[in-house]
Amino acid sequence: MLSNYTRREWLKSASILGGACLAGAPFARAVTAAAPAAPVSVARCRTYEPKELLPVMARMFDQIGGVGKLVKGKTVAIKFNLTGMPYQRLANLPLGETHFTNPAVVSAAVNLIARAGATRIRILESVWATTDPVEEFLLQANLEPLDILNAAPNVEFENTNYLGKGKKYSRLMVPTGGYIYPGFDLNHSFADCDVFVSIAKMKEHSTAGYTGAMKNCFGNAPVTIYGDGAGIDEPSAAPHGGRGDCFHDGRRQPSKSALQEKDTSTPRLETYRVPRIVVDLVAARPIHLAIVEGIKSMTAGEGPWVTGAAPCSPGVIVAGMNPVCTDAVALAMMNFDPMGDRGSPPFENTDSTLKLAEDIGIGTRDLKRIEVIGAPITSSMVDFAKIRAARQANQLQQQSGKRG
Amino acid sequence: MSAELTPLRWPGNWKDASALTLLSDTPINCLVADKGALPESVAAQARQKGLAVVDPAAPPAGVYIAKGEWPGVPAHQGDTFVAGPTGNPWVDSNGWKVRLESVRHPGVRVWVDARPKDVVSPDSYPLALADSAAYGGRWIISLDDRFAADVAQGKADALATWKKITTAARFFDDRKAWSAYAPEAVVGVISDFAGDNEEMSGELLNLVARTNQQYRVLVKNKLSPASFANLKAVIYGDVTPPGRAVETGIMAFVEAGGLLITHPKWGIAPGMRASDQDNDRYVWRTSGKGRIAFAKSAFDDPWEIAQESVLLISHRYDLLRFWNGGSVGSYFSMAPDRKRALVQALFYAGRGPEEAGVRVAGNYRSGKLWTLDGKDSSLTMVPQKGAVELHLPAVVQYAAAELEVE
Repeated sequence: MLSNYTRREWLKSASILGGACLAGAPFARAVTAAAPAAPVSVARCRTYEPKELLPVMARMFDQIGGVGKLVKGKTVAIKFNLTGMPYQRLANLPLGETHFTNPAVVSAAVNLIARAGATRIRILESVWATTDPVEEFLLQANLEPLDILNAAPNVEFENTNYLGKGKKYSRLMVPTGGYIYPGFDLNHSFADCDVFVSIAKMKEHSTAGYTGAMKNCFGNAPVTIYGDGAGIDEPSAAPHGGRGDCFHDGRRQPSKSALQEKDTSTPRLETYRVPRIVVDLVAARPIHLAIVEGIKSMTAGEGPWVTGAAPCSPGVIVAGMNPVCTDAVALAMMNFDPMGDRGSPPFENTDSTLKLAEDIGIGTRDLKRIEVIGAPITSSMVDFAKIRAARQANQLQQQSGKRG
Repeated sequence: MSAELTPLRWPGNWKDASALTLLSDTPINCLVADKGALPESVAAQARQKGLAVVDPAAPPAGVYIAKGEWPGVPAHQGDTFVAGPTGNPWVDSNGWKVRLESVRHPGVRVWVDARPKDVVSPDSYPLALADSAAYGGRWIISLDDRFAADVAQGKADALATWKKITTAARFFDDRKAWSAYAPEAVVGVISDFAGDNEEMSGELLNLVARTNQQYRVLVKNKLSPASFANLKAVIYGDVTPPGRAVETGIMAFVEAGGLLITHPKWGIAPGMRASDQDNDRYVWRTSGKGRIAFAKSAFDDPWEIAQESVLLISHRYDLLRFWNGGSVGSYFSMAPDRKRALVQALFYAGRGPEEAGVRVAGNYRSGKLWTLDGKDSSLTMVPQKGAVELHLPAVVQYAAAELEVE
């Protein structure tokens, strides 16, 4: 490991960061030192069969130092990604094999985290524009929630797109002050947990270039406050629509009950705003364990609605205790340069979430400083960058053909 | 079925009996026209050719005529669609009316009188036909004036559409046995469907159908223990009390493990035990092996009740589950001997989806897919636990999957 910042030191700082946020106190540490680094485990995994997946993930957790010290006696929240509608899928493929975090990966993580001593595990997702329980959303998608619920004792779901089972929203501040927002009002589950885990899919993203462990947290924000149909003064009772107006385009402010944008003169461009808001959310609710699953996925973007979307099978999983390091390794495995920024793939038209996170000291994206354990970075069966370049060339050719 | 007629509303601008030749080699065997609207010369020649002539004010024996709406996704102001409460496009369909009237008038064929208000898209004609026929009814084929004129003038495009309409009519005419198939259902809607209850209960059927939750129409005075067979839940929303016999029947269903969804007027009876499932909208009680979900306020929004009922019952019990279906409507039925299942899907958005799929509860060993042109094709069937997933080819308005039960 090249970093002079040990995992123990990082964990300590992460827990301080988390503790400060939970207390609702501003965290004013000036970021002067190099962003921390933490080991990242990479593994090949070709199927979602528990007999293959569970030992692979157990070994990965060991490789990053074990999760026992992190979760023993703790309440753990796991945010996974169920972007889009349960009834929209790519080709005729199961949603967990293209753009949803596969529930088998969540089940395996739940099982291992429980075995490591967690006392309670809550599975979180802000499912699209509804107060429906996450379990019902999964069933609609033809996925079995019992596989997750039965993976360990004391496991429950919560739809975090609204107040949910809480009595009030919890305010989590951005310790560094925030790029766009100084803090967020979130479902109580984000404050109630001692440990926060993000399990994402290895995918490109039509706005942010790449979506991984950090971008997964875009969905932490309830649309009752940050959505197109959010209440003006107070949160709406139920979610309506997405986060386009408020987060993507900045056409409106969150409900007045929540903290407003710091500076409304900043660009109203989603490629400027989305990466920054993601970093604000990750700073407000730090990720203790990041997992990016790319056993099966898709190219071109985050969901089947993206032009050119196609299924793919990278056959890999990436895990680490620093989300920036983990996303950097995942990005490298897709054959993109994690040190790239606006102008370089996959950030041709957007700022890099990774760079912005690194800039405020969440973690490094510099592979030279990240210890990669397990399979090599070249393990992925899919070269996302090559496919992206070919797709873009094809699109250009079609456009010039039309003009011609 | 006492009247196997395929009706056409005689277009007002078909003045000449020569237009009857357009009906040759089609299943259309009945002209519908308001009194005085059909030229006597046409009527006489029609009768000579063996066609029935019907005044809708006096339908023939064995026919009940229901007033319907033009089915589909209503478009307003150019490409702007009317959105439903979910933001999804609103869909008009007459399927629920056909099913309701078929239950209220057993043994009759329900005809749907739904005329185009203006010029409609050619593709919407086969859809209009399927929207009634899939549910066992018959649409009174009704053409907009311009289209009717174009057909009469022999314009190629219009004749091609006319051919599609009559082919679709033939398709259902050749499959009359499907009308005898019984609906598979997860929820029953109980009402007298009359008086003060008519509007709410009708809308409830309409909107439960829109969720693609498979339902059974249960008319209060026709209930028997068999009415509840295989149901997971019933909805009772009438403002009037159920009456002792109906209440006894419903409670027997609950005691045996069913779910009753109702409003506060039903009343929490002594012996109903509290449950920890209470939420913002419903108070839960248990009784015997079953449960009762009492809405905390009166049933005043049928859309809300329909949507909530799906969750109260749970998607776990979905009989059909669609992907990439767009504005899809569906009807799942079973042959009387239960050896053959039929899943009919209607795509209301004007153009059929690509890569649509549907999960059908149950075990099936084979299946074939039919489209309105009468062609069948093999079906990609992916077995699942207690179900099969069907991958549909790109179809336009309608597809029917006929499945052999394992």
